Amino acid sequence: MATIEVENISKRFGTQIAVDDVTFSVEPGEIFGLLGPNGAGKTTSLRIILDIFKPDSGTVAILGGTMSEDKKDRIGYLPEERGLYQDIQLESGLTYMATLKGLSKPEASRRVSAYLERFDLGEARKKKIKELSKGMQQKAQLIVTLVHQPELIIIDEPFSALDPVNTQMVKDLLREERNNGKAIIMCTHQMHQVEALCDRLVLIHKGKVMLYGKLEEIQRMYAAHEVIVRTLVDLPTDLAGVERVEQENSTAHLQLAPGTSAQSVLRELVERKIPVEQFEIAMPTLDEIFIQVVQGQGESA
Amino acid sequence: MHKTWLVLKNEFRTVVLRPSFLIMLVLIPLAGFLVTYIIGLVQTSPETSAAQTVENIFTSPQGNLPEGFVDHSGLINTVPNEISSILMQFPSEADAHDALMGDRIQAYYIIPEDYIASGQVVAVRKEVNPIQGFEQSGVIEILIAHNLLGSDPMLAQRYLSPAQIKTESLEPQPVQREQGVLAYFLPYIVTFLFYFVIISSASLMLSSVTNEKQNRMMEILMTSVSPVQLLTGKIIALGAAGLLQTMVWSSAGLLLLRISGRVFSLPPEFQLPVSILVWGALFFVFGYAVFGGLMAAVGALVPNLKEASQATTIIILPMVVPLVLLNALINTPNSGLSVVLSLFPLTSPVSMMTRLAATSVPFWQVALALLLLAGTAVLVVRGAAGMFRAQNLLVGQTFKLKTFLLALVGKA
Repeated sequence: MATIEVENISKRFGTQIAVDDVTFSVEPGEIFGLLGPNGAGKTTSLRIILDIFKPDSGTVAILGGTMSEDKKDRIGYLPEERGLYQDIQLESGLTYMATLKGLSKPEASRRVSAYLERFDLGEARKKKIKELSKGMQQKAQLIVTLVHQPELIIIDEPFSALDPVNTQMVKDLLREERNNGKAIIMCTHQMHQVEALCDRLVLIHKGKVMLYGKLEEIQRMYAAHEVIVRTLVDLPTDLAGVERVEQENSTAHLQLAPGTSAQSVLRELVERKIPVEQFEIAMPTLDEIFIQVVQGQGESA
Repeated sequence: MHKTWLVLKNEFRTVVLRPSFLIMLVLIPLAGFLVTYIIGLVQTSPETSAAQTVENIFTSPQGNLPEGFVDHSGLINTVPNEISSILMQFPSEADAHDALMGDRIQAYYIIPEDYIASGQVVAVRKEVNPIQGFEQSGVIEILIAHNLLGSDPMLAQRYLSPAQIKTESLEPQPVQREQGVLAYFLPYIVTFLFYFVIISSASLMLSSVTNEKQNRMMEILMTSVSPVQLLTGKIIALGAAGLLQTMVWSSAGLLLLRISGRVFSLPPEFQLPVSILVWGALFFVFGYAVFGGLMAAVGALVPNLKEASQATTIIILPMVVPLVLLNALINTPNSGLSVVLSLFPLTSPVSMMTRLAATSVPFWQVALALLLLAGTAVLVVRGAAGMFRAQNLLVGQTFKLKTFLLALVGKA
């Protein structure tokens, strides 16, 4: 059973359509990327999923049905607009937020304490939140999102303000949560993080779904008919089925003619005893696909 | 319910531990004790009561001097005995003027030749007293009436006070409290205290909601608690904080009165009946619910405290009306205007407390006012809960009265 089933949701603010007939689902044990340029309708979609906004049309099933007060305790949400009580101590602020998610006071204290150590915030526990750096506040916000061990985690730009060490720590944490069977929706503009973490994704532009599916499948869909070959010698120019070769140092991009497969090119290279160090089908980066779609060159999925 | 309780506890703790709240809680009673101590110190004679001490402050030294008159009309034949010590006759205006300038009299009157035709009398004073104004003592009227009516004191008295109407009703009638300077100030003190406590508690609600908006807490809170849980927790917590403040101040006030009674003899009229405290608690609870609910609704609508300033002015306006009409409320506490103000829910919390402090109000009026106020409180809190929708809380908009009122009744 999918953790989230979004079916044909639409939402309009005045004359502006924020979300237009969006459909996707999120499964347990996966990290799902919700992508799109600024103002695409990502946050509105998330707020509809979380029942903060009501859709004008369409339905959302979350954790097996419509949203309820009890289900709120099974969801961890890191919103785009970060917020914490600024004038209270970090530890008591986090403990209060954890109790609002259904934890008892002692259990909330115990878990907050453990997370503070894990996030290297132990020494700041008695500091007021407004005295913390941006990165520390971001980590505190992540603790609020995860402390009650939710089944569904929704995180908007989880890596903002984090240094590489903390970014890696959060990535490991998210992978850990996925391996524990949690469903994770991640919104981010950092496409390399999506490539590193997400199993599937949906790309929304101007409220509409532009791409939806497995990361690899989408990349293949947008892949040009090219292979990348790295050799220690110059490649021959008369390879069968190769229309053009672009050589950059030891790496060459081979554009294949229609009907030519990558396998046939590899076979010919082996037969002609050309020492191949690397051979791969050229895949576009998610950055390239994103730009292509958003600039209106992509096809609707 | 559990989450409402969590919100309530957190709000209450946050407010009462705020330095500004603690300072106000302690500072006001402390100031009262300090004033009492100083009055006790400056009192020279053990017989001098607190009332006299205050009265002395408001009485000018000139007030003890007699007045004079010059008669050009030939009407004045005798000066009645009862005013002869405070009203001196002068043969000429020059003599009266010299006496005034020599501080032997505080003022003199000139009765002109054509007094019978014109009825005009000229009063001459050195200066206008800013507190007492150009107030006449009334002795000149007694003098003229006495002489016009052939020196018959009974006739003169009836002429000056033709009818003392005593109303007898089949129902028990309110009794005006005894007058005195301190008793005069009591309704003022109660009114301003009540106004301040309700407004400050309601303002706590506004700042709490806008503070959470500015801290961007709303979106996280919305995914943890329901809007109704959030609003209910806040209203009860901040009301409790206001009640705590009221109780501490009232207890300090009662203690102060008792201590004062020992330090200097306190007049019996300057004592609050216990019933006022009971009514006060009830009017506070419902008055706060109305204004706190309205403030919460404003907080839900606007993006920040700055945007709320116009709205708060409009909301507080009905509370200010009784303050503007305070003299009328205190001097004629059972007039039609006073009754209307003390029954209308938006003005009743302050107006009824003023009347209760000034006079005895019929029970049915207090009960009806409370009923109307409670009904309004229920409607306002329900309307405010409706406005505690995510869209308002997350987006925020510029305050417009029309939008606000429509939203309050669930039509925007």
